[in-house]
Amino acid sequence: MMQTLLVRALLVGVLAVSTAGLARAQEAPIKFGKIDEADLTDKPFVADSAASAVVLCDFGRSRFEYGPRGFVVVFERIRRVKILKKSGYEYATGQVSLYHANGQEEKLTTLKGFTYNLVNGQVVKEKLNSESIFKEEKTTNITIRKFTMPNVRVGSVVEYAYTIGSDFAFNFQDWTFQEDIPIRWSEYRASIPEYFDYRMLMQGYEPLAVQEQTESTGQFSVSYKGETVGSGFNTTRTEGGSEILMPRQTNHRWAMQNVPPLREEPYMTTANDYVARIDFELAGVRMPGQPYQMVAGSWEKIDSELLTDDEFGTQLNRASFLKDQLTPLLAAAGADPAARIAAVHGLVRRSVKYNGQSRLMATTTVRRAFDQKSGSSADVNLLLIAALREAGFAANPLVLSTRSHGRLQPESPMLNRLNYVMAHVALPDGQEVLLDATDELAPYNMVPTRCLNGQGRLVLPEAQKSRWIDLKPKDRLTSYRQVTMALDENGGLRGSVHQEHAGYLALAQREKLRELGEKKYVAELGASHEGWSIPKYTFKGRDELHKPLMLEYEFVSSSEASAPVGTVYLNPLRDFGMDKNPFLHENRRFPVDLGSQLEETVLVNLTLPAGYELAEMPQGLVMELPEKGGRFTYGVQNGPTGIQIVSRLTLSKPVYSAEEYAYLRAFFARLMAKQGEQLVIKKKV
Amino acid sequence: MRFIPAFALTLLFPLATLAGPAPKYAVAELPAALRENAHAVERRHDELLTVKSAARTVETVMRATTILDEAGSRWASELVYYSSLNRISYFRGAVYDASGRQLRQLRTQDIRDISLSDGFSLATDARGRVADLSQPTYPYTVEFEYEVVSDNPLFYSNWKPQPVEQFSVQEATFKVVMPAGLALRFQEQRLPAGTALAQTTVAGQQVYEWRVQNLAALDEEADAPPVSELTPAVYTAPSEFEVQGHAGKLNSWADLSRWTYELNANRATLPPALVAGMQALVAGETNERARIQKVYKFLQANTRYISVQLGLGGWQTFPAADVAAKGYGDCKALTNYCQALLSAAGITAHAALIKAGSDEHDIRTDFPSSQFNHVVLCVPLSQAAKADTVWLECTDQTNPFGYMGGFTGNRHALLLLPEGGRLVPTPRYGAAENCRQRHADVYLDANGNATATLRTLRTGLEYDAVAGLAGLELSEQKKRVGNRLALGNFTLDRVAFRPLPASAPVPGLVETLALTLPGLAPPSGKRVFITPNLLSRLAAPAPAVGERQADIWLDYAFSQLDTVQLHLPASLQPEQLPAPVQLTTPFGTYSSQLLALPNGSLRYIRRLEMPRTRFARAEYPAYLEFRRKVSAADKAQLVLVKTDA
Repeated sequence: MMQTLLVRALLVGVLAVSTAGLARAQEAPIKFGKIDEADLTDKPFVADSAASAVVLCDFGRSRFEYGPRGFVVVFERIRRVKILKKSGYEYATGQVSLYHANGQEEKLTTLKGFTYNLVNGQVVKEKLNSESIFKEEKTTNITIRKFTMPNVRVGSVVEYAYTIGSDFAFNFQDWTFQEDIPIRWSEYRASIPEYFDYRMLMQGYEPLAVQEQTESTGQFSVSYKGETVGSGFNTTRTEGGSEILMPRQTNHRWAMQNVPPLREEPYMTTANDYVARIDFELAGVRMPGQPYQMVAGSWEKIDSELLTDDEFGTQLNRASFLKDQLTPLLAAAGADPAARIAAVHGLVRRSVKYNGQSRLMATTTVRRAFDQKSGSSADVNLLLIAALREAGFAANPLVLSTRSHGRLQPESPMLNRLNYVMAHVALPDGQEVLLDATDELAPYNMVPTRCLNGQGRLVLPEAQKSRWIDLKPKDRLTSYRQVTMALDENGGLRGSVHQEHAGYLALAQREKLRELGEKKYVAELGASHEGWSIPKYTFKGRDELHKPLMLEYEFVSSSEASAPVGTVYLNPLRDFGMDKNPFLHENRRFPVDLGSQLEETVLVNLTLPAGYELAEMPQGLVMELPEKGGRFTYGVQNGPTGIQIVSRLTLSKPVYSAEEYAYLRAFFARLMAKQGEQLVIKKKV
Repeated sequence: MRFIPAFALTLLFPLATLAGPAPKYAVAELPAALRENAHAVERRHDELLTVKSAARTVETVMRATTILDEAGSRWASELVYYSSLNRISYFRGAVYDASGRQLRQLRTQDIRDISLSDGFSLATDARGRVADLSQPTYPYTVEFEYEVVSDNPLFYSNWKPQPVEQFSVQEATFKVVMPAGLALRFQEQRLPAGTALAQTTVAGQQVYEWRVQNLAALDEEADAPPVSELTPAVYTAPSEFEVQGHAGKLNSWADLSRWTYELNANRATLPPALVAGMQALVAGETNERARIQKVYKFLQANTRYISVQLGLGGWQTFPAADVAAKGYGDCKALTNYCQALLSAAGITAHAALIKAGSDEHDIRTDFPSSQFNHVVLCVPLSQAAKADTVWLECTDQTNPFGYMGGFTGNRHALLLLPEGGRLVPTPRYGAAENCRQRHADVYLDANGNATATLRTLRTGLEYDAVAGLAGLELSEQKKRVGNRLALGNFTLDRVAFRPLPASAPVPGLVETLALTLPGLAPPSGKRVFITPNLLSRLAAPAPAVGERQADIWLDYAFSQLDTVQLHLPASLQPEQLPAPVQLTTPFGTYSSQLLALPNGSLRYIRRLEMPRTRFARAEYPAYLEFRRKVSAADKAQLVLVKTDA
């Protein structure tokens, strides 16, 4: 029952092999310039009243051609959209992203478009003008072409088609079957000659309507120039010429029908992990008369490539320049490995500031990063590994994909799926420690939240020993509050609070404290409780990052009443409970990914004014989520020294499946109702 | 009077050693008063504006900023803008440790070139160069120097040495060099006592110089004017300028109006068929407002907003014929097009420059200069009994007719007229217009669970925040409505929206909700507790920390009227009703009361009205008292007792 709906499959093997003849008979689902007139009326869209626009058809095709510079991948796309509301006008603007590097490029070879409107019962067709196409240099390697369609109104159908010729076989166009508006039909075809071996990875929660694979024979006219070989008297000239290559070709076809829109929800890693999509990675090349040449294809290969790369592996043993600084630090740390690791980590963290960019590969040498005092996550953490090795530890890189970059598929070895590197240390006693030095306020062994994303790959010097490591957080979101408070006869409260935040919550609170300073932090705390003043406070453990952040404070919450009252109704957890159910929405299609476990404890000790007694109190409660997913306990006790209230919440899974959502939501609803219950306190008569 | 710290004297005699450059900006030299409350300190900031001619200016900036902690690290990077009319002549930087020793200089490869595409423009030529000199340990000092040559001298520099809170200034200077024959116009704001303009003539050039020193960091306070209205500033503007061959004067609002008018003149020709179409559209309609409305409706149905910001195109409209052909344009093009459509229908309208934005403050009306970023259409009604105007926002296809809203209302606009226009106020939206009226029926059961139906009408600027909801998908509507509801636990069973008819004086939207509210009134023994003010609690004010420094500035006028009908089961009886509350103060008026009705239900009525107003800081305790009383009354609790039935 807990199994996920996610369809994630490596598309291998033969699914539906038919003959080449049949493949050719397969008609395109859309013809540019020929629309169905009915689409200009309202009738076909009665069921889409909520959508701002509908993609009628999105059709892409990738195939190979042979050009003067070798094989090129040609990608053609035709896209037709119906505009249903003014808020859907944005879908009349398109953009194409083009990559270029080292003299090679992706080139937009054609771009054409039409807007169709129904004017007095007649179809009026207007052309996209080339002067409405703009160019933007996004980065040094990416150019964007933007265009917008003419005379778009509510009810218009807009259509555009373009072709991209790409010199990069490794950059085969991926296809996304799902968007934030409904899609009637989305189809992608890829014709791949036997020379190119691609891994194809399908993901998402939507079913394929078509999945076919046929074989045919390709035809490429390959010409080559004459060449001068040798020198001096031995010079000979080889003839130029041409040749027809006729490789076996696999024609893939995937389509989805009536794809619902995908929307962001809270507690998601990134929408990219949930969208229906197919990705391609070039695994190898097998040119005629040449042996198979692996391009990617195995983690083992990626491991060994990383280890020899100048921007990765070779940096890992280059921290001898740190010797002078490490020696006294290690001497001061003593023999305890944890203290020694923390000392090395402290040095790196203080020496290089993380510039906010997540990277797998270094942008410079570790030496230079150290001198510049700033760098990407790779610059920081590769230096950390090198420094740990210099200090005698078995430190190695742990490569991974961050939450915003998307889930890593161990079954799909692709270098571009990695975007981050942490440090891993194996201690002689068999313990393993994960480290990251990008955060000024995190303890040395805390896995950053951004890295809590499935598995990472530990790359070991003996590449074949490299293995997968679960990126499970050792830390939790932990809060603990102990409240001692006294009620006065007017119904006012005063008391003191001992508050501890640990794990990820300590990090978050330390960040907030750094931003606001102590005075404002406390002012904000006071403002979140109606009628509070906080006359005294002390922070403890601000700089001891491996310990909880502690705050002791006193509070006064005066009553509106100016004279003693006979009955006081008091919700003792009003200021210490939860104020909104985090799971507001009735249902959910994706897992709830909290990243880490959570634990929240509140202990209240309440004393009553002389002459008052507890007349009524809430009943205790213990409840659990299915499969030990979480627990809430609540209890009230009236003792000789006062009334004790205990409220404790534990969520023991970092990720809950979509099926568990309803339980989570109901669990929190009951928890909040219980926390909202009141004590009735009466003057003795 | 100039404050020269001891170390600066030694800098005047630098020792020519081989040990590298002498230390600069040592943090030990920083007066303690400037570290107080500050995340960063401007050690030195020299801004020089050299006006070469009416057509060209050169801005030269040098700043050295000490970053005291992580929260100040945004000052460790610098972004220099450029475009087709502005080019960067140089951009340099260096970073120094706490002792003032130079750590490194900025290298060319450290500077990134980025597109400043705003995300909604189809095309823009705005670009920037960015450099980041952040360091892992604090404090440290960054130094940036750059120069930008501008062929867009419609704008001169505005000097704001202390632009944000938590930022102190050791020394900052602003110098303007004017060529002979060209006058500088300027306006000084809140310069500290003793700060005076030094004006000299050097080789025929007029040199103006301002200097401030030792400005302590400000703290952010609740309900205070923005920091830009609290710290020193010098605004400057040209008296004459020329952009891409278009010369103008700027000694009055009329000058700026005339130049902009001329730049955009003769671009209003429409295809003859469209002119005839407009005439036919309004034929037979005698009501002037209705004629305008018909044309506006045509505009909204047939055009859309597409932003293109290239060179002079930032100032000059595309011809109306282009919009007629393509059906889209930017704010200038759509306004010009609408003006042409109205003209074809026999209606005179004027374009008006405006500084748009939902949190923009009004322009400085007493300093004529280019302060605008948008244009709207002003249509004077010639047949109205008293002077009246219809204002049209031409870039929004769903904006209600005649409504300016939070984007362009409550401020001044500059009419563009051939003879030179004047500033005119756009419609004001006050407490009466910005209104939220809510009626709730709550059905409570004996266990404290409830269902409720809510009908909420929002008008004026209250409407702005929800205007887009009606067009969204149901799941998205539920999400947004749910996030806004101040309730802990609920399920939204029904969500519906209905706009007020176009004839309403201000636009409005009626939201109807049906809710299930488990555990709304938690029971304790034989009692249940409920707050009759279900949804409209005014947040308690932040407690005062230290002495209030700034005035109280309440910039948003609004009114709220809530009626909650509480339907009780027979087994529950009120034990005590909260006492009625009535507050009348200059800061606002408030009343709430709970009545027992003959049919056994209870009716709660709450009114709150807050004006747009400003008070001296001495009034702050009284204001806090008002807010505290409202907050207390808003959370007053009703106790119901289970009767032994």
